[in-house]
Amino acid sequence: MLTIKNLHVSVEGKSILNGINLEVGAGEVHAIMGPNGSGKSTLANALAGRDNHEVTSGSVQYRGQNLLEMAPEIRAREGLFLAFQYPVEIPGVTNLYLLKASINAILKHRGEEELDAVTFLKLIKEKAALVEMKQELLYRAVNEGFSGGEKKRNEILQMALLEPYLSVLDETDSGLDIDALKIVAHGINTLRSKDRAMIVVTHYQRLLDYIVPDFVHVLAEGRIIRSGDKSLALELENKGYSWIENAA
Amino acid sequence: MQPDTFVAADTAHYIDQFAQLDKGLPGVDVAWFDDQRKKYLARFSKIGFPTQRDEDWRYTPLRLITSKNFNVVAKPDCNVDLTPFKIPALDSYQIVFVDGHLHQKQSTLDLDKGITVRSLAEVLTNTPDLVEKYFGSVVENDSHGFTALNGALNKDGVVIKIEPGVQIEKPIELIFLSQTEMAISQPRNLIIVGKNSKAQFIDRYISNSTAHTLTNSTTEIIVEQRAEIDYYIIQTQSSSAYQVCGVWVKQAAGSRFSCRTITLGGGLVRNDLRVDLNGPEAHCDMLGVYSLSGKQHVDNHTTMIHQAENCTSNELYKGVLEQRSRAVFHGRIKVAAGAQKTDAQQTNNTLLLSRDAEIDTKPQLEIYADDVKCSHGATIGQLNEDSLFYLRTRGIDEADARTLLTYAFVNEVLNQIDIEPLRDALEKTLSSQLIHET
Repeated sequence: MLTIKNLHVSVEGKSILNGINLEVGAGEVHAIMGPNGSGKSTLANALAGRDNHEVTSGSVQYRGQNLLEMAPEIRAREGLFLAFQYPVEIPGVTNLYLLKASINAILKHRGEEELDAVTFLKLIKEKAALVEMKQELLYRAVNEGFSGGEKKRNEILQMALLEPYLSVLDETDSGLDIDALKIVAHGINTLRSKDRAMIVVTHYQRLLDYIVPDFVHVLAEGRIIRSGDKSLALELENKGYSWIENAA
Repeated sequence: MQPDTFVAADTAHYIDQFAQLDKGLPGVDVAWFDDQRKKYLARFSKIGFPTQRDEDWRYTPLRLITSKNFNVVAKPDCNVDLTPFKIPALDSYQIVFVDGHLHQKQSTLDLDKGITVRSLAEVLTNTPDLVEKYFGSVVENDSHGFTALNGALNKDGVVIKIEPGVQIEKPIELIFLSQTEMAISQPRNLIIVGKNSKAQFIDRYISNSTAHTLTNSTTEIIVEQRAEIDYYIIQTQSSSAYQVCGVWVKQAAGSRFSCRTITLGGGLVRNDLRVDLNGPEAHCDMLGVYSLSGKQHVDNHTTMIHQAENCTSNELYKGVLEQRSRAVFHGRIKVAAGAQKTDAQQTNNTLLLSRDAEIDTKPQLEIYADDVKCSHGATIGQLNEDSLFYLRTRGIDEADARTLLTYAFVNEVLNQIDIEPLRDALEKTLSSQLIHET
C-alpha cells in the first residue's frame, strides 16, 4: 500500500522529518506516536501533499505510484484521506455541498457514475448515523460553529463516505471527551478491512484502546526511533517519552 | 493640464446639447420643473464634473467619461430584442428604457389598482401636479456635477406611486438598456410607496456589448410609514459602458428599506446611495456585491443618515477583484443629535485575487448622539490557503476550490436575495465569471 523511504521534509526552510522509513501493508493499522514537535503532523500533511511541506529527499510509493508527484486532489481521488487535526471552517460552503462535490470528484476520477441527489442524500444520512452526527450539521457551513467533537466527527463522516484505501488520522483524538472518542473510534473501526490501511497519529495511548493498531512507531526529531506492536504504546504510556528518547 | 480649462472644456459639450434640445425636453411648459432644470444647468455649468481633487472622487479617475462627448439620443431604435437579457422564470412587471427613452411596447404601465406606473415625460405633459411636491425633495441639491447634469438634461424616467396599504405580488423590473454608440442616458425616476405598502423593485442596467455609453441616473424614493421595500440594483453592463447611479431615499417611521447593489460588470461604475432615516423605528439594509475583472472599476459611495430615534441600519458590502480591477468603498454613517438608541453596523470585505487589483475602503462615522451602538469594519484579503488545501484533500481540484471559496465569500450577501429566479440568475452569472477568470 505505502512505502516511505528515507523521507526528508522541510517546512519554511526548517528540516522537520529527517529520514522516515515506513512500510504499510493493506489491512494494517499503524500508530505513529511521539512527543510534541517530533514531526507527526508534518508526516501526515506531507503525505496529503501540503504546499509548504517541501520534500528535500526520499521517496513515497503509494499503490504502485509515486505519491510525491501527485497534487493533493489526485492523492485524494486515488484513495488517500487525511483527517485533519484542526478541521478548517469554510463559511458559505455547506457541508452537504462539499461532501457531494467530494464523492463525485472521486467517482468521476475512477470512471464511475456520479451520484444523483437522491442516492447521495440516502447514503450520507446512513453515514451520518454511523458517527451519530446530527443531520442539521449537514446543512450548515463546513465546520462553522461546530464544537471540537463535531468537527472531528465530520472528518470521520467524510472518511466513511469516501471509503479511502489509506487513511491518515492526524490526532483525531485531541479535544475529544471519552464518549465522542468512542463514537469516532467506532466509525474508524467500521472502515477497517483487509483492503484498507490506516496511519493513526496520536500523542496519547488512549485512542489505541479503541483502535487497536498492528504496529506502533515512535517518532522523535523527525525519525522513527522504535517500532513494535501495541504493547509499545502501553509501555510508552507508563514510562513516558523521555524513556525512549534517552534510550535512543 | 489646467484644472479650470479642464472643467470648462468637458462641460461645454453638454451645455451645448441643452441649448439644442431645450424646447424638446419634457416639462418645458411646466414652470416649476423648467425652473429646476435651469437651476441644475446653472449648477452644472459652474461646478462641472468632479475631479480627483474632490475627496469624494479621490480614487475614481473620470477620464473615461470626461474625455468623451456623449450625445443625447433623439429617437432610440426600439427594434431591440430583449430576450437575451431576460431573467429566466422571473415573473415581473417590466418597464423598459432604451437609451434613456421609455420603450412603450415592452413596458407594462397598466398595473393593478392602487399602483401608478407612468413615464416622467407623460406625467409632465398631462398631470405635472402629481409629482410637484415630491420631485427634487429627496435628492441632495448640492450634490456633484453628475446629479446636476441629470437634473438639467434628463429626457425621461419612471414615476411609480403606490397607494397606502397595497401589497404588490410581483416585482417591478426597471430595465435600462444602453445600446447606441456614444449615447448618454439620464433616467430621472421617482418612486413613492404609501403607508403600510409592500413592494419589490429590480433596477437593471444592461448594455450592448461594444457600444461606449454613459448612463447617469437619479432616482428618488419616498418610503412612507411602515412601508416595506426591497430594492435591487443589478449592474451587468459591458466594460465599454460607464455609469453613475444616484439613489436617494427618505424613510418615514417604522418603514423598512432593503437595498442590494450587485455590480457584476461595467467599465466604470459609480454608485451614490443615500438613505435618510427620518422617522423613529425605521430600518435599512444596504447590501452590496461586486465582482470585477479586467480594468473594471466600481465606486460605492453610501451615506446612511440616522435622523430619528430607535432606527437600525445594517450595511455589508463584499467584493472580489481580479486582474487589474479596482473598487472603492466609501461608507458614511451619520447619527444626528436627536437620534438616540441608534444601532448602525457597517462592514466591507474584499478579496483581492491578483496583485494588480486594488480596493480603497473608507468607513466614516459621524456621531452626534450619545446613546448609540455603531460599528464599522473593513477587511482585505486573499483566499485562505488552509481552506484551499482542505478542499483539495477532499478531491476538489485547485481551480474549482478557488472558485468555490470565492463564490462562498460573496454568497453571504447573495443568499439573502429572496426573489429566487433573480438569485439563481445572479449566482449563475457570478459563478461563470469566477470560473472563467481562474
